[in-house]
Amino acid sequence: MAERETTVGPEEGIHGRPAARLVKAAKGFSSQVVIVKGDREVNAKSVLKITGLARKGEKITIRAEGEDAEQAVEMLAQLIAADEH
Amino acid sequence: MKLTGIGASEGVAVGPAFVPATDRPEPERDRITEDEVGAELQRFREAVETIAGNLSETADRLRTSGSGEEAGIFEFHVEMAKDPELASAVEERIGHLESPEAAVLAVGEEFAAEYAAMDDEYMAARADDVRDVTGQISAQLIGRSISAFEALKTPSVVLSYSLAPSDTARIQKGMALGFVTAEGSRTSHVSIMARSMGIPAVVGVGPKLDRVLGAQTVAVDGGEGYAIADPDADTVAEFERMSGALAEELAALDEYRHVEASTSEGRRIEVAANLGSVSEAHDALKWGAEGVGLFRTEFLFMERDDLPSEEEQYEAYSAVARAFGEKPVIIRTLDVGGDKDLPGVDQGSEENPFLGWRGIRMSLDTPELFEPQLRAILRAAANGNLKVMFPMVADIGELEAAKAILQKCRRELESEGMDVGEVETGVMIETPAAAVCAGELAEQSAFFSIGTNDLVQYTLAADRSNERLRRLQSADHPAVLALIRRTCEAASAAGIQVGVCGEAAGEPEMISKLVELGVTELSMAAPQIPRAKKVVSEL
Repeated sequence: MAERETTVGPEEGIHGRPAARLVKAAKGFSSQVVIVKGDREVNAKSVLKITGLARKGEKITIRAEGEDAEQAVEMLAQLIAADEH
Repeated sequence: MKLTGIGASEGVAVGPAFVPATDRPEPERDRITEDEVGAELQRFREAVETIAGNLSETADRLRTSGSGEEAGIFEFHVEMAKDPELASAVEERIGHLESPEAAVLAVGEEFAAEYAAMDDEYMAARADDVRDVTGQISAQLIGRSISAFEALKTPSVVLSYSLAPSDTARIQKGMALGFVTAEGSRTSHVSIMARSMGIPAVVGVGPKLDRVLGAQTVAVDGGEGYAIADPDADTVAEFERMSGALAEELAALDEYRHVEASTSEGRRIEVAANLGSVSEAHDALKWGAEGVGLFRTEFLFMERDDLPSEEEQYEAYSAVARAFGEKPVIIRTLDVGGDKDLPGVDQGSEENPFLGWRGIRMSLDTPELFEPQLRAILRAAANGNLKVMFPMVADIGELEAAKAILQKCRRELESEGMDVGEVETGVMIETPAAAVCAGELAEQSAFFSIGTNDLVQYTLAADRSNERLRRLQSADHPAVLALIRRTCEAASAAGIQVGVCGEAAGEPEMISKLVELGVTELSMAAPQIPRAKKVVSEL
């Protein structure tokens, strides 16, 4: 299992195109990937679930379990932290 | 009757009312039988595939036409349609003998209710997205088209509870005079779309919309944020006058949008746009930009904790390159002064940031900043017509050093087997030193672009932001004009282009002087383009 904490970068939080990008990236990994915020834990491969999960500047944790767990948390953490323009 | 809402897209219009027929599909059967489950699961999966495919096509079409923002909406919808949580919830209901067309609507409604309950305007707007996408899947399952806009055949003001992107995308060009919706905010898709289409819109008028759905005529003022149902003759006349005046003003300039401006002597002057972000590219093209005379790259670096990666920059530069196709796009390398905070770079504090460590000075000292930017530009150049411009150059040594690094980056990329494009290099003429040494710089440049704002401030020793020095903040000063003349002469002798990308380029009274001095390109805020082309055409 791999885990990483990061801060949400995009101005409007996780939604719309950044959310779509995130989900696309998550689907590229065979691992099960979840995003955890507080006591909520959602499937990172579901745009419906991750939409609205967190706002800009909030801390979230990405957790993955599977063969490519390390790469998955690495990449998703980067994407979430990136500021979308 | 007057309806007050949120002015979401400026402009006024008056015309017949159009109310789209109910935009929710209504499944005729709720239940299925045990032995239908397998086939219905299959039908649901196929419907998802079809809708996701349609949405992706729309996204691609919008992206290639330069509407990145709108394309993003559809990419989001593609992911919603293919959502695994949506699928498993629907499949579970089908397993419990619900019809797929009813199940997908019910699950969509669950997600929509969750978003609508969030105390956040932006998130509440996402409820419409879920309803839109699940509604399309349901309609596909029922086997009918969801678009109620096929009946819209005469230019009308559209009245609706909400408008989904799939609706607005289906409206034929010219058929919508205005939008009035019960739901929505300035950040709803209908608002974004209305602004990009230049159609007046009032959103969020609330349940009162119900009472005007039978109206014959509707007047809408998208700037002030109100609509009038069945206005009296005086109001209609007033709206017609306002909309006529606005249209006339725009139309008078409109014919100039896409002309290639030349003076009466036949000198061709290119009119281009200054861009501060990728999202402005589409609008700039609509205003008639013949290229980008100045693409500021600061937006990629600001308001974040780390430096943007080469990949991220490559994406941004490529997006603009693709949007403009063969038209030239001049990318200015990073120019951040000590008055702005740059993450990851210790700028120290400076007494005079405008005279400090910025532009090419900082870039040459900070390879970890400069090289990824140049690599990204070289790679993105394979996708369009990109040029690179160095800011704050004060002598030939800086230009030579910058070009050497560019060469090194090119060689490295080539040896890594990366695709790179041809990139012309030019100098931004904004220090008096560069203008004085223009002859020498011209020999090693493919173009010049005069940044009049800084050139004025440095030549006249007058701080740009000091209100008391207004008199000394214009390019229309003999010393500044002399430097511009010198720059143009050097460019002409070397046979290279010379543009102006400061505010002066968009000022009608300066344009004639700049053209007379020998400037061959003017670059400005996009909405000023039609007027500048008109001014040039009348010279």
